[in-house]
Amino acid sequence: MAEKDVIVVGGGLAGLACAMNLAADGTHVHLVSLVPVKRSHSVCAQGGINAVNEVTRAEGDSEYLHLDDTVYGGDFLQHQPPVKEMCDRAPGIIDLMDRLGVTFNRTPEGFRDQRRFGGTLFKRTAFAGATTGQQLIYALDEQVRRWEAEGNITKYEYHDFLSPILNDNGVCRGAVIQDLFTMEIKSIPAGAVVLATGGNGLVFGRSTMSTICTGSASARAFRHGVRYANGEFMQVHPTAIPGTDKLRLMSESARGEGGRVWVPKTAQDSRDPKDIPASERYYFLEERYPKYGNLVPRDIATREIFDVCVNQGLSVEQGRLCVYLDVTELPPTTQQKLDGILEIYEKFQGVNPRVVPMKIFPAIHYSMGGLWADYVKNQKTGGLVEKAPKNHMTNVTGLYAIGEADYQYHGANRLGANSLLSCIFTGLFVAPCVASHIAATAEAVPSSLVDAAKKKETERHNAVAKMNGSENPRTLHDELGDTMTRNVTVVRKNKALAETVAKIGELRERYKNVGSPDGGGWTNQSVTFVRALDDMITMAEVIAQGALMRDECRGAHFKPDFLIEAPDSDDPATLRQQAVEWCKKFKAKNDKWLKSTIADYNGGDVQFSYEDVDTTLVPPRPRTYGLKGAEIIEEVWREQFSEKSPVGAV
Amino acid sequence: MSSQTATTAISPREKYYFLARRLHSLTGLMFSGFVCFHLLINATVLTGGESFQFCVEKIHILEHMGILVPVEMATIFFPIAFHALFGIVILLTSQSNMKDYPYGGNIRYTLQRLSAVVILVFLTMHIWHMHWLGKPFGGAQFDPANATSTAAAAMQSWSLWAPIYAIGVAATVFHLANGIWTALITWGVTIGPRSQRVAGYCCVALGAVLFVAGLGAVRGFMTYSVADGNETAAVEQVEESGH
Amino acid sequence: MSKRVKVNIKRQDSPDSGSYWQTFELPVEDGMNVTTILLRIAATPTTTDGEKVAPVAYDACCLEEVCGACSMRINGKVRQACSALVENLLKEQPEITLEPMTKFPNVRDLVVDRRRIFESLKRVKAWAPIDGYTPRGEPDRMSPSDQEDAYPLSRCMSCGCCMEACPQFNDKDDFIGPHAVSQAILFNTLPAGKPLESERLDALAEAGGIAACGNAQNCVKVCPKDIPLTVSIAKAGRATTIHSIKRFLAR
Ligand SMILES: Cc1cc2nc3c(=O)[nH]c(=O)nc-3n(C[C@H](O)[C@H](O)[C@H](O)COP(=O)(O)OP(=O)(O)OC[C@H]3O[C@@H](n4cnc5c(N)ncnc54)[C@H](O)[C@@H]3O)c2cc1C
Ligand code: HEM
Ligand code: SF4
Ligand code: SF4
Ligand code: FES
Repeated sequence: MAEKDVIVVGGGLAGLACAMNLAADGTHVHLVSLVPVKRSHSVCAQGGINAVNEVTRAEGDSEYLHLDDTVYGGDFLQHQPPVKEMCDRAPGIIDLMDRLGVTFNRTPEGFRDQRRFGGTLFKRTAFAGATTGQQLIYALDEQVRRWEAEGNITKYEYHDFLSPILNDNGVCRGAVIQDLFTMEIKSIPAGAVVLATGGNGLVFGRSTMSTICTGSASARAFRHGVRYANGEFMQVHPTAIPGTDKLRLMSESARGEGGRVWVPKTAQDSRDPKDIPASERYYFLEERYPKYGNLVPRDIATREIFDVCVNQGLSVEQGRLCVYLDVTELPPTTQQKLDGILEIYEKFQGVNPRVVPMKIFPAIHYSMGGLWADYVKNQKTGGLVEKAPKNHMTNVTGLYAIGEADYQYHGANRLGANSLLSCIFTGLFVAPCVASHIAATAEAVPSSLVDAAKKKETERHNAVAKMNGSENPRTLHDELGDTMTRNVTVVRKNKALAETVAKIGELRERYKNVGSPDGGGWTNQSVTFVRALDDMITMAEVIAQGALMRDECRGAHFKPDFLIEAPDSDDPATLRQQAVEWCKKFKAKNDKWLKSTIADYNGGDVQFSYEDVDTTLVPPRPRTYGLKGAEIIEEVWREQFSEKSPVGAV
Repeated sequence: MSSQTATTAISPREKYYFLARRLHSLTGLMFSGFVCFHLLINATVLTGGESFQFCVEKIHILEHMGILVPVEMATIFFPIAFHALFGIVILLTSQSNMKDYPYGGNIRYTLQRLSAVVILVFLTMHIWHMHWLGKPFGGAQFDPANATSTAAAAMQSWSLWAPIYAIGVAATVFHLANGIWTALITWGVTIGPRSQRVAGYCCVALGAVLFVAGLGAVRGFMTYSVADGNETAAVEQVEESGH
Repeated sequence: MSKRVKVNIKRQDSPDSGSYWQTFELPVEDGMNVTTILLRIAATPTTTDGEKVAPVAYDACCLEEVCGACSMRINGKVRQACSALVENLLKEQPEITLEPMTKFPNVRDLVVDRRRIFESLKRVKAWAPIDGYTPRGEPDRMSPSDQEDAYPLSRCMSCGCCMEACPQFNDKDDFIGPHAVSQAILFNTLPAGKPLESERLDALAEAGGIAACGNAQNCVKVCPKDIPLTVSIAKAGRATTIHSIKRFLAR
């Protein structure tokens, strides 16, 4: 009964959580992944996972405040009901992971230890050494192996998702995949397909992401009619270690545990950093953001580091942009907690960060945008309706998107340690929704449909394998990455964005003349890459075009030309007047731009539209971290502009 | 949920493998005990033919009781036969890679297997040479009644016996000392790296003592003047005077 | 002029074809690692003889030594390609050699089929057999010292290095490998894994279980995650013996 099976594509946290939950309820799952699921990109996550807990509760924290931090951090660009549901369920998720054997760090008394992450004032983040993502995914991987041993899950590792199988009514009835060892193309019928295929950092060449994060699966779904939302919102992580093949992350936990960011006050001071006295160091985050200090949200930290290096010329090195991230003054016990990430630095840089401050610079890190996914709001709770088939379903019936691959939860900017949560949450939560969907579909999948889809993809594969033009696919990728990194990361300007869009068009043309350097029919990684390059170009179009069209500053999307000038008068009355003006402009901007960008493929002619955002639980307010007139703006906003928070939500 | 992973019928190999490996280790240990005893007694030859004869006779009291052969069979022969036979099975499953990974532990692992082969050859020769089991094959030159002189005569009967015994002793002592060290891990006695290191020192010390004793015995027998006469009588004299 | 490095790579076109060597030469970059070498070769796969060849197939994913994908024999010794820095490798020998792991069936070039690693984990039931995934409140506390014992073991990334270096892990024996022994011990110590403790010990007592280990201790030397494998092995030796005796007596 193939129509009762579910195909889960992606074996990261989201895919595994979904597969295990489906399998536990007796659904047969086909689990497809480019790499053995245990090696999925989720293993890279270091810092931790957020949830309200007893300790923060005692300090006044609540699920509502977690929701508030998340949407405020995300500049209100996310639908709030799914976020509410996630925050409400977060504590239960941590308990579950604990039951599954995740070795969370402990307090002396044996409770889970917690640390503070960016964008909140509470210590909400549970962690397992410096390898939280690895520990979480292993726990899920083990459960999946358990169900595999029971026969409820069939794994297809080293398999590439090529396309969904859509019937004449546009309903998803399975997927076509390719064995990356034998290159055999397989067509699997199913009642539903769940895409949990992660982010697309490789569009930017090098990023903090793994080599498989090309966004290929999303692009393929996109080309089959699935909408892609908020593509332009790419998070840049403030602290990464520049490398030749990857920009390795230095987790936020380095700052969470007390690491401090600074540059010498004298540009390119040639002294040993240890010899530079405190008075000659510029702790710019602490000075500019006394309340959050080094733990300002990521977009802000990124911009400040960028500003200090590029605009003020205070980069530590002359030829390469970087600032110091200093954990040398932390006590050994605290350093020990960070061993895992400090080891990475030591291993790849050959320098011991316990004695020498680390050199770091921002890097592309996370895709807030993703495949458009629906939700069904629970009018009573403000959260979601459990088991509703439409939750996380894309605009293609029977095709779901979860995890980093979807666009919910993080709006314009993701808070640290919220992504692992959203991945596990969506995986667990979507399972019964998918189950309800397949329970309602009885119709068998016609074999003609399955065969036709296979034939089509086989032809496409053969066409790609035969490409023998003169363009080198790796060179095209490098060019794509360079343009995207230069023009579409920290600071975005319309002129550069327009050039980028043109450049992508050029690459798209040149792509037609690509040569696949490998003629072999076995484990042909070149063909796989050439195909993914096509997908990355598609993703780049969505990202760059979306960024070009969005004329405002919001979260990670920073366009200085559209910045609303901050109040700066020293005279209280004028200041207030300025704040009112500011708020008016802000309101006007929100009216225009507090909307999700929706891209539609439309047979190759990508079209953009905008979707209203459900902000019924936490009324939008200006994000004022570090603004000079922050207090007065907030006051004015509260008095004159804010909608009242609905009572039910608090 | 019960965990009914698809289990196929268990083969005897499946079923008894663990037991066999544990018995292998145990028999190795038993035989090690014997070898310690054996080498130390042999070394008594250094203090004169009489003391060796004395020890041999004490052992052969068992013979008078009529249980020497069963005891020998049960505590020495069968255990080592099992150890040797199953040892060969184990040898066949190993794939040494000392060249790529020249770590101490790996070198010892390889030497353990190499020494096992040497011992196999040596032991066969030794049994033929000295033990009554070798009699049907024209060996068995040792006579407990005249222990020292017959052993010495046997040793001196061919110029290569001395180096063969020296190599045999070296291989055996290494195999024994390293075997005890690994057995302590096998049985989970030494668990952490530190305890394993300390056990290592102890095994080296034991090995050194046995090696010296073993070589001493070889030297003792080689230099013992066979013509010197009748050690049995000498022992009797000693015993009498002792009373 | 910038420094150049010669890289000798052992290649194989498909699982049942023979292997051959090819040499590539490329400029050394600052902080360059082996995965970067392979990436550069993939871009312009030309040997030192000037022959244009197919790019070298290899496995890699995280590039920061946490996913376990990129294990291969580098200068004769198994390790992760992403954390092997060219600078350090050139201190070992003047040219770099890359070969696939030998203990797993070859797929192509440097790619091998490591499914056996995951099958071993199935054999020792390395998972927590919890009732279901609906919330059940907070589980019992765990002391920091227990966490500190368990955490290092839970970092095993199934890379296969320990198996590649283990002289007992080969086709002649169905040894589950040191990683699986260690995972069995991990789950036997975690409260979450306890219910299957005796089944895991049964599995360890099977042929190819703990008894197959010959105590060469290569595994612990090559493990990129410094997992105390030999401690787990000794613990498993003890626990399995006691378990087997108890089971025998209980019959
Ligand atoms: C360095 C780093 C550190 C991070 N640290 C944190 C942190 O501390 N806290 C936090 O909350 N978040 C963190 N994040 C973010 C978080 O790790 C990711 O967002 C999350 O792991 C994504 O999980 P996922 O399940 O959506 O996808 P992934 O784990 O990326 O998995 C994607 C899966 O899809 C499969 N796949 C992809 N394409 C295809 C295809 N075409 N065919 C078949 N299969 C395919 C892959 O094989 C893989 O199994 C971090 C991210 C990075 C890069
Ligand atoms: C006759 C030929 C012999 C062969 C073929 C042989 C073979 C082996 C092998 C292959 C091992 C390694 C087992 C393992 O580590 O898993 C071993 C271990 C051992 N051997 Fe021998 N051996 C022989 C003789 C001896 C002798 C003469 C002694 C005593 C001196 C001895 C004592 C031991 C001990 C104590 C061990 C350690 C067992 C363990 O690790 O648990 N062996 N033997
Ligand atoms: S134990 Fe170490 S070497 Fe073995 S698979 Fe795990 S991480 Fe790799
Ligand atoms: S100690 Fe055991 S598992 Fe480790 S390498 Fe040696 S034989 Fe293999
Ligand atoms: S690429 Fe993940 S361990 Fe090397």
